[in-house]
Amino acid sequence: MDVVVLGGGVNGTGVARDASMRGLKVALFERNDLAFGASGNSSGMIHGGPRYLVYDPAVTATSCRDSGNIQAIAPHLLFRIPFLMPVADRGPKMRIFFDLLDGFFEAYDQYQPLKRGKPHARLSQAEVRELEPGLTGDLVGAMSFDEWGIDGARLCVANAVDARERGASVRVGCTVTAIDRRPDGAVEAVRFRDRVTGEVGRLTTKVVVNATGAWAPLTASLGGLAPERARVRPGKGIHVLFDRRLTNYAISAFAIDGRQMFLLPWENLTVLGTTDDDYYGDLDHVRATSEEVRYLVESIARVFPSIHGARAIGTFAGVRPTLYAYGPIEEALSREHEIIDHAEHGAPGLYSMVGGKLASYRLFAESMTDELARVFRLPGRCATHTTALPGGDEAADPFAMATRLGVDAVATRRLVYRHGSRSARVEDRMLARPREGVTVCACEPVLEAEVRYVLANELARSVEDVARRTRLGLGACGGMRCAARCGQIVAEELGLPPREGVAQAIRFVTKQARTRVPALGPDQARQEAIAMASARAELGIAATADEDDEEPP
Amino acid sequence: MSRSIVIVGAGLAGLAAAFSARRAGRSVTVVSAGAGATALAPGAVDDVPWERAASAARVARVPLVRRPLAVDVAAFADALGLWSIGDDGADVARIATVAGVIRPARAHDRALLDLSTIRGVVIVPRAPRAAWDADALAATWGASPFARAQGLRFHAAEAALLRHKGERGIGELDLAARHDEGDRLDWLAARLREALVREAPRGVDAAAVLLGPWLGLAAPRAEALSARLGLSVGEALGGVGSAAGLRFEAARDRLLASLGVDVVVGRATRLEVEGARVALTVHGKSDLVVGDACVIACGGVAGGGIVYAGAGAPDRARAAFALSLDAPVDLAIGGVRVDVTSSLNGPDLDETAWPTPGAEGALERVGVRCDGARAAPGICAAGAAVADRPRTALEAVAAGLRAGREA
Ligand SMILES: Cc1cc2nc3c(=O)[nH]c(=O)nc-3n(C[C@H](O)[C@H](O)[C@H](O)COP(=O)(O)OP(=O)(O)OC[C@H]3O[C@@H](n4cnc5c(N)ncnc54)[C@H](O)[C@@H]3O)c2cc1C
Ligand SMILES: Cc1cc2nc3c(=O)[nH]c(=O)nc-3n(C[C@H](O)[C@H](O)[C@H](O)COP(=O)(O)OP(=O)(O)OC[C@H]3O[C@@H](n4cnc5c(N)ncnc54)[C@H](O)[C@@H]3O)c2cc1C
Repeated sequence: MDVVVLGGGVNGTGVARDASMRGLKVALFERNDLAFGASGNSSGMIHGGPRYLVYDPAVTATSCRDSGNIQAIAPHLLFRIPFLMPVADRGPKMRIFFDLLDGFFEAYDQYQPLKRGKPHARLSQAEVRELEPGLTGDLVGAMSFDEWGIDGARLCVANAVDARERGASVRVGCTVTAIDRRPDGAVEAVRFRDRVTGEVGRLTTKVVVNATGAWAPLTASLGGLAPERARVRPGKGIHVLFDRRLTNYAISAFAIDGRQMFLLPWENLTVLGTTDDDYYGDLDHVRATSEEVRYLVESIARVFPSIHGARAIGTFAGVRPTLYAYGPIEEALSREHEIIDHAEHGAPGLYSMVGGKLASYRLFAESMTDELARVFRLPGRCATHTTALPGGDEAADPFAMATRLGVDAVATRRLVYRHGSRSARVEDRMLARPREGVTVCACEPVLEAEVRYVLANELARSVEDVARRTRLGLGACGGMRCAARCGQIVAEELGLPPREGVAQAIRFVTKQARTRVPALGPDQARQEAIAMASARAELGIAATADEDDEEPP
Repeated sequence: MSRSIVIVGAGLAGLAAAFSARRAGRSVTVVSAGAGATALAPGAVDDVPWERAASAARVARVPLVRRPLAVDVAAFADALGLWSIGDDGADVARIATVAGVIRPARAHDRALLDLSTIRGVVIVPRAPRAAWDADALAATWGASPFARAQGLRFHAAEAALLRHKGERGIGELDLAARHDEGDRLDWLAARLREALVREAPRGVDAAAVLLGPWLGLAAPRAEALSARLGLSVGEALGGVGSAAGLRFEAARDRLLASLGVDVVVGRATRLEVEGARVALTVHGKSDLVVGDACVIACGGVAGGGIVYAGAGAPDRARAAFALSLDAPVDLAIGGVRVDVTSSLNGPDLDETAWPTPGAEGALERVGVRCDGARAAPGICAAGAAVADRPRTALEAVAAGLRAGREA
């Protein structure tokens, strides 16, 4: 290999794509699943981050510019998010603050054209009430501003699939266990282990790119470097999901401690986020705690009290790989990225990508690949901002597709959102095998053909992987209805023993429940207990699948 | 005048309490507010949670057999007329679930197919319905250790079970209800017979037919069909709210009527004990329901009886958990009163809410604190409403019978 990329987040898949496009022989290893880390658990905003404007306008400008680029290469994955930022009327100070905010957003307006955003508007209290009746309390008014959202998991999958189609080898569920170096210190090979099959191997390579996000220090140590050589500040952030759209607009508000937070209508759900706390726990098992959930709920309740009556259906959590800087408070840390060339630490050929944001992943990947181009003396230039990602080349019409297939337009709209023009490939499956037109997950909804498609073409290996790619089981039912069926399909498509499908379903249902319980609110305990009883009756949650009905010897 | 008993809840526990109180000559009023766990459960009937029974049997290396039923429990089951309970000491029933598992059960709704006595080939008809992929299910069931040990094979077979195209997408209860209509059973029998005839030359000698949970809502449809085809026909166990729940409700209403129990439909909101009398307030009704004693059988957290309240809901913020009716009893988890408020809205559920292979989940354990059936003077409790009792159907029955007697 020319380059081995470690990590299947947005940065790793982004580099794998760019490097493959420029003709390098690339292999990517992902320890868990594509988008398993920060990339699949972020707030999903392709924003310039107005919050960086004050102390780090460079971050704002680069992010805005690349937001425009990402819209061009994956138009299907982006959606506009109009935000309202209400300002409570707590005396003359707040009125002055409101004017300052107006000026601030005027400054942000300069960047809006870069990302096809609309300029902000200054709204009176009456206007705010009309737009968003749920916002209570005396308000000076609100600012509106425009952002874009994306499904981070789909973005990673699109990059990985593209890299693969351009010749890269992508292995998921396969962890790198060591980075071998020659006596002179240069990188020589990586050793890996497939975490499902147990298969181990060694792959020689000239360059290794450590794009393992919050894992980066651990990964550096696999190459015999001190972890501090790829230091990041691991900043855990959580989100709470509610079962419906609670507002018309996204609400940006200030938390109890003055941090900025948001409430965001997202497809048929609402997302409440987010927190930022140092995290030194197990990165493979990051979960929200009820303390964190309460902090968010109580914070947003100050402007949106009816949140207390809403039904939380889950949480998700990730750890930001923030650039390390000594001392500063968490909020003020820059999200800018940095490429570390470990030649300066005696390990030529090893690079670490640290920091970064979803919004600027492509730029980050471009800089990294420029460095690779220098090393390999490649003539070509970066084309990732002009070459469509899979599915981003043409628009697809979900309504016409719904008519052709005789399925619900809600289902085809989701399908087109996730796959863009490649939804036609899923449609072809359904036309060839009408049986695949049935709905596997009714909450989202997800059709059987899509489940089979992601197993066959998008490197999914389990029920959980399918969920990450299709949102199956992530809606109101928590996978109770669809996990078992999905497990059967996984087993069938991948040629696994049928019992493995059942075992995966049990694992998925239990894992989903664990993300749900920290957010259990009034009245939800009964639904939870019914889910529990039902999982018990049908699957047997407290037994391991291999034993559940085994006869004594 | 005979002693009168007021019962809150008409799930299995409330029904059993009514049964024993009437047998003891008491007059009984049942107040109930609609479907609870019993009406949502898919028809397997256990004494202890099946996973626990199975793992105990595994550890002790003994076969899983039906533990003896108490005489009064057997009499109740007989009067309800809904379950196949088998003989004490015989092998436990084995039920196939639509999730692809074959699980043991002490007893079961008579429409479910018991695989424990079947040897050979079980036909699984293909039906173009979501969540019913006969081939995948047959492969999954067939690979289970039970099927392998028993020599059971599952064979997916073509059978035109749906009568109209629209039946592909209708709910399972609706499809089940259609099987109660006029000649539908004849039609179904004819289709299955065709399928069996088609499979026979291929060397498939069917011993049973396993259908989805849509065989009908009226009681022993499966038996009629089995008699007609000369082999066992039954359902697989479905999910929440499958036909078994409606069959329970029909059987319950018949039993309550034959026992001569007064039924008040409504949500109880308040229970007061004054001297030797209890008085129950029912939402929207001006008259109190009064009696000499009360049985709380309003279900567990699942039944809708207990509300998980907390900081977010100021009116209920006093306690982490509250009974849906205001009653002078204590709630407990593990014998300890629940009045802590720590995490989001109540006890720290992050790690404890869901069961693990070693332990039950907290939500399964919270309930009314009882000494035997007694929760407070004049008040008994039974079924899933009680703390730290197994959440099973037969436990609800046994506790209900005891509470009815004690009250
Ligand atoms: C709560 C939260 C909200 C955020 N919101 C936004 C937002 O709104 N907008 C925005 O632009 N950015 C946002 N971010 C930041 C953004 O998500 C991250 O900066 C970005 O996803 C980092 O991507 P990555 O590829 O570097 O890391 P990750 O996505 O974490 O990927 C690292 C991968 O490496 C794998 N790995 C680890 N060790 C090994 C090994 N030994 N071998 C192989 N693979 C390995 C892991 O399994 C993981 O999948 C948010 C982040 C968080 C946590
Ligand atoms: C999906 C599911 C699967 C299950 N699977 C199995 C299994 O395989 N095996 C097994 O043995 N058990 C199983 N169970 C558990 C079993 O069904 C219950 O333990 C049992 O039915 C509890 O009966 P109960 O009478 O105590 O409660 P419920 O059946 O819940 O009855 C409570 C009744 O009280 C009423 N009520 C509540 N509050 C009030 C009020 N304030 N006023 C008036 N009425 C009120 C409710 O409406 C309800 O009718 C399952 C349960 C569920 C939900």
